[in-house]
Amino acid sequence: MKKIILLISIALSGCAVVDSYLMKYDPGEYTIITEIRADAQNYKESCSNELMSTTNSVALANKTKLFVLFSEHQPHNEPVIKASIELDKIAQGLKTQYTNEGKVSPMFCKIKFESIEHSAEAMQKIIGAKPR
Amino acid sequence: MSAEQIQYNQSLLASISSQNPDVNAAAAQVHQYTEMCKAGQISPAEYAQLLRDIQSQINIQAAMAELDAMETLNTAINGLITIASLIA
Repeated sequence: MKKIILLISIALSGCAVVDSYLMKYDPGEYTIITEIRADAQNYKESCSNELMSTTNSVALANKTKLFVLFSEHQPHNEPVIKASIELDKIAQGLKTQYTNEGKVSPMFCKIKFESIEHSAEAMQKIIGAKPR
Repeated sequence: MSAEQIQYNQSLLASISSQNPDVNAAAAQVHQYTEMCKAGQISPAEYAQLLRDIQSQINIQAAMAELDAMETLNTAINGLITIASLIA
C-alpha cells in the first residue's frame, strides 16, 4: 500500500512540474502535423500536373492554417505556435503563387512541397516526444 | 541585381564554413537556388520566395530545438523527483 501511495505521489508531482512550463502530448496536434507531412510527400509527385498541383497547394495551405489555429491558444506551447506560423508561411506562398501568379515551374512546386515535408517531419519528431 | 552583385553574394556563400551543419546546409541550398534561377529553372519571383522559405525553415529548427531542450529538462526533473522521493 505504501508503495502504491509513493508511486502515485511521484507521478502527480511530475505532472505538476510539466504543467507549469510544457504542454503535454496532444494526439490532435500530432495527427495534424503527420497529415501535413504525408500530404506534402504525396503532392510533390504531381508537380508536373499544374491543375492538380493548384488544388493540392490550396488543400495543404488550408491544413497548415488549421494547424496554426489549433495550436495558437494552447498554453505552454510557444515553440509549436512559432513553428506552425512559419510552416504556414511556406504553404501559403505556394498557394498564392498558383492562385495569383498562374504559371508555376514544376521545380518550384517540388521544392516547396519538399520544404513543407521536411519541416513537418522535424516538428512531428519533437511533438511526438512530448511528455504523456 | 547585377551579375557582379550576384557573384559577390555567391562568393560570400562559398566562404561560409560553420560548425553548425544546419548553417552549411542552408548556404548550400541558397547556392543551389541561385544556380537554378540563373539556368531559368525557376523564375526570379519563385527564387525570392524560396530564399524567404529558408529563413522560415531556420526559425522552425530553432523553435523545435527550444522544445526539445524543454522536453529533456522535463525528463531530467521528473527523474530527479523520482530519486528524491525514494530517498526521502
